[in-house]
Amino acid sequence: MTLSGYEALFFWIFGLAAIFAGLLTVMARNAVHSALFLISSLISVAALFILARAEFIAGVQILVYVGGVMVLFLFVIMLVNVGAEERGTEEIFNNQRQVTASLIFCLLLVGGMLYSINTGYRGLQARYPATPDVVAAQESIRDQAHAPSATGSSRITKDTESVGSSLYRYASLPFEIASILLLVAIIGSVMLARTLKQEASADDLDPDTLETRINAD
Amino acid sequence: MLSFFNVIFLLQEAETRFDMMKRAAVNPDLSKFLVIGALLFIIGVAGVLTRRNIIVIFMSIELILNAANLNFIAFSRYLSEMGSVNAVAGQIFTVFIIVVAAAEAAIGLGIVIALYRNKETIWVDEIDLLKW
Amino acid sequence: MQKYIWLVPLLPLIGAAINGLLGRKLRFSEQIIGGIAVGSVALAFLISVAAVYSYGFGGHAEWPRPYLTSQDGFSFSWIPGGAVSVNHGAQYALLNIEWSYQLDPLSSIFMLIVTGVGLCIFVFATGYMHGETGFYRFFAYMGLFMFAMLVLVMGSNFLMMFVGWEGVGLCSYLLIGYYFDRQEAANASRKAFITNRVGDFGFALAIFGIIATFGSAQYVNVFEQAKSYPIELIGHWGVLSWIALGLFIGACGKSAQLPLHVWLPDAMAGPTPVSALIHAATMVTAGLYMVTRTNVIFQHSQTMLLVVALVGAATAIFAATIGITQNDIKKVLAYSTVSQLGFMFMACGVGAFAIGIFHVMTHAFFKALMFLGAGSVIHGMHHEQDMRRMGGLKKYMPYTYWTFMAGWLAICGVIPFSGFWSKDEILWNAASTTHIPLGWVVWLVGTIAATCTAFYMTRLMALTFWGRERFLEAPAGGEADEAHASAYDKGLAQHDATFASAGDRPRHEPGEHVGPVHEDVAHHVATHGHGAHHGAHIPHESPASMWVPLAVLAVLATLGGLVGIGPAFRTLTGTQHPGGHLNIVTWLNPIIWNPVTREFNTPDGHEAAAATTETAHAETAAPPVVEGAEGAAEAAHGSAAAVYGETGFNLAHAVEGSTHSELATEWIFIIISLVVAGIGMLLGGLFYIWRPALAGIWSQRLRPLYVASYNKYWVDEFYGLTVTRRTMDLARAVFRFDSGIVDGIVNGLAWLSRLFSRIVGGFDKYFVDGLVNTIAAFIMRLMSPLFRAAQTGFTQNYALVMVLGLMVAVAVFFARDILAVFQR
Repeated sequence: MTLSGYEALFFWIFGLAAIFAGLLTVMARNAVHSALFLISSLISVAALFILARAEFIAGVQILVYVGGVMVLFLFVIMLVNVGAEERGTEEIFNNQRQVTASLIFCLLLVGGMLYSINTGYRGLQARYPATPDVVAAQESIRDQAHAPSATGSSRITKDTESVGSSLYRYASLPFEIASILLLVAIIGSVMLARTLKQEASADDLDPDTLETRINAD
Repeated sequence: MLSFFNVIFLLQEAETRFDMMKRAAVNPDLSKFLVIGALLFIIGVAGVLTRRNIIVIFMSIELILNAANLNFIAFSRYLSEMGSVNAVAGQIFTVFIIVVAAAEAAIGLGIVIALYRNKETIWVDEIDLLKW
Repeated sequence: MQKYIWLVPLLPLIGAAINGLLGRKLRFSEQIIGGIAVGSVALAFLISVAAVYSYGFGGHAEWPRPYLTSQDGFSFSWIPGGAVSVNHGAQYALLNIEWSYQLDPLSSIFMLIVTGVGLCIFVFATGYMHGETGFYRFFAYMGLFMFAMLVLVMGSNFLMMFVGWEGVGLCSYLLIGYYFDRQEAANASRKAFITNRVGDFGFALAIFGIIATFGSAQYVNVFEQAKSYPIELIGHWGVLSWIALGLFIGACGKSAQLPLHVWLPDAMAGPTPVSALIHAATMVTAGLYMVTRTNVIFQHSQTMLLVVALVGAATAIFAATIGITQNDIKKVLAYSTVSQLGFMFMACGVGAFAIGIFHVMTHAFFKALMFLGAGSVIHGMHHEQDMRRMGGLKKYMPYTYWTFMAGWLAICGVIPFSGFWSKDEILWNAASTTHIPLGWVVWLVGTIAATCTAFYMTRLMALTFWGRERFLEAPAGGEADEAHASAYDKGLAQHDATFASAGDRPRHEPGEHVGPVHEDVAHHVATHGHGAHHGAHIPHESPASMWVPLAVLAVLATLGGLVGIGPAFRTLTGTQHPGGHLNIVTWLNPIIWNPVTREFNTPDGHEAAAATTETAHAETAAPPVVEGAEGAAEAAHGSAAAVYGETGFNLAHAVEGSTHSELATEWIFIIISLVVAGIGMLLGGLFYIWRPALAGIWSQRLRPLYVASYNKYWVDEFYGLTVTRRTMDLARAVFRFDSGIVDGIVNGLAWLSRLFSRIVGGFDKYFVDGLVNTIAAFIMRLMSPLFRAAQTGFTQNYALVMVLGLMVAVAVFFARDILAVFQR
């Protein structure tokens, strides 16, 4: 899947952007900044998906992940964040020992991962060698097979079609289970986030807790 | 005398290596995708382990999941070119990971809300009820 | 008809089963129970009569051969024993014990006696036992007894005899202990059974010996083989003598010979019909049956013949002397029975087996008659048994009186009553025997015993039926019950029988007249049903159900002896044994073994025992005999002296030496026995009718003898001292050992266990637990802070550890590859 030309350029741009944004997510002082950096990281990754010819997934990522999950994150940040970090009254990182240990482990882990990726890929290439030109030629042949778009400058790929047919045929059971999972998640989150008054009015409190809480308030 | 030959050898080495690097840079392939995925993963792990704000920890978890998604998609592309029949499975998997991540985020944030209502704090090191 | 003899034991058994199992449950009335019992026995009797008739006298008479039911198919393979090793010839024999009946001369006589006399007694018992609550039980036991006795006499092998033997012993126990709530009855029944058992031990050993020696238990097989064994004279003791010894021990136990006679007088605690049937007519004669059945074996052992004769003689005189002084009417009759049994064994011992059986038959008639008569007297006297309180009953109970008189005359040996014929033959054969030495001693003892018999029987008649009516004058004793007379004598008036008896025993207060004044009305009226007689208490005649059997037996006692008219009367009758094979001696000949010819007798005229002194022909084989040629038959009598050697002084030979005529000798002995009987009767009349004071005077003069006789020679006390009480001492000692030592050991072990457990518990509680607690505390103090440090409650610490774990897992997963890197 060797990218070349403009694809390579955009790969590097979006790749480095994703990494950089992720880094900043973790290191930002303000929680809202963290969220925004995460959004940008996600969008960069979506772009990478497009480069990897997974257009449908890129769309799903942006719609669901960015449009749903991150918005939810932002709502919750509004609800709970008191801004103490940005004021400087609270630390953003844990105590030193924790951070040091974490960094050591993470460095070890990333070292191992990178080494294994490179070694593994060399092995993989030795098995299935493919020069970039041949690959590009094969890709262009494949691309010819697709229908051109309305404007004629690009082609309409069959990615959505293949994902959909696979999802509704071979992966239909996980699909249904996923829907049930979502249902459970909806119910659960609604139930978890109820206030005391909401729980009392729905008669979901035992009397002791009610007494304690009412007296405490 | 020896140093001369060594230098030439090293220069040749450097040149070969540089060429390789150039080629790698100009034609990124599967391994580059995986590297980016790994780096994102590590950043996410570091974030989970080091940050005090609970929301930021959740966001780091999202980073981790994202890195996994990238991995799947990269392999999906690679395998579809290698001629595997079921290369689209990677994308299917990604769909489900996104679904699960969304559900998990929803529940998790619900817990954060409940937690905040009870303990009035979002700093994880203040939530240590399990401490001896 | 013979082939139906298997019904004969079965019918009484069925009757007994019905009565016993259903009698109480279905509440049969007395009529039904009695009807079933009497009917079954009557039917058995009829079948016996028909079978014996067709066996002996019918068209296809099989006499003299024995008839076995296995010939007609009734034979049940009871114990298929397989191979047994035998002591002769072939090392192994196939022992197959079957259940089949044998009808031969001996068993036929016994069948008729048992069923016939038994029938009379059953009928009597329906009247006598009237009003008893255990009526059904009585007849169930009696029927069972009939079954066992018939199996005994009809069995074709020794094991069946043994089964019957034990069965009659059991029924004797059950029936003596019929009034089981009375101590005397319970004791007596136990005594009877245990004494019997002592004899049975010998019998069982003898059976083992028979099987080991002959390899079979069937009579026909055993006796065929035994015939050819050598005869063991005195001084030579062989296997057949051992067997005969065992058999005789059994006979002693069953037939109450010395020293196992002690149970018979005590057995009078049972109801009178039981005494009549079992202890007069049938069970006690089982020993005789056995001895006669095995006469082959006995005749092979001269020592045992001598033993039998001497024991019989000793028993006869022993019991006769005791009977003189007893006051209870039933006790007198009991000792009389023992004495007469002694006579029978005397007969067998001198070789006159057929005469022994003849005496069994006549004795069954007159003794059963007298027992039933005594029962009638007791019933009429309202259960009074002490003769001193009777007297003059002849006008109150005429039927009883006249029938009893027949029995009295029979037992005294007055011609032509039945007892005369048999007793005289016994004494003649004792005097003239060539089987054993000391025949004259046996004769002498027998004669004296006959005198005593006549004396005490006359005494009984005088005290009971003649003289003045003492029951109107004498005060009643404490408990006027059966078997209580002696207790009253001993002054034990207030003794065990304090609880209500199972029967209708009346109770009298001490000092109360048995006569006119009589209390206890309600009890008597309710159970006894005598109504109007109560207040007066005049003795009354018994009902028809009781005196009719008496009459039948009286006829038999009078005429029954005519089947055994002896050779002394040959001038009158023309033959040695008149009557063809209706004559008992002729009838029994085929089963008596002749030691001279070493074969069983042929039917006509050969007796094994009667050795005449007239003949000089010895060791001739049995010639064929024509009915009229008595002289030749007589001349062919072999003197058994040739077989048994010199047997010392022979009284008959001595007398014949003087008279030179066998007939005259025989008549001399007849006259002697009649004379001694007459002397006995006259003395009895003298002492108890004409000069009653003499009885008291002479009993004072012969005080030691009187006391010894009255106390039965203290045999029971002797046994108690040596055997009974020592056994109980042993039992007590064993009990003490068991409860003290054995239990003590067990308890001690338990105590030890408890102690041990306490020690271990203490150890566990203090040492082990202490150790555990110390270690636990130590660990806690040491390790607790360490482990506590891990529980920070800080989620990210846990996440860190998870990452660490992930790394380790990955490293493990790729361990090989990682190591390969470093090896490159």
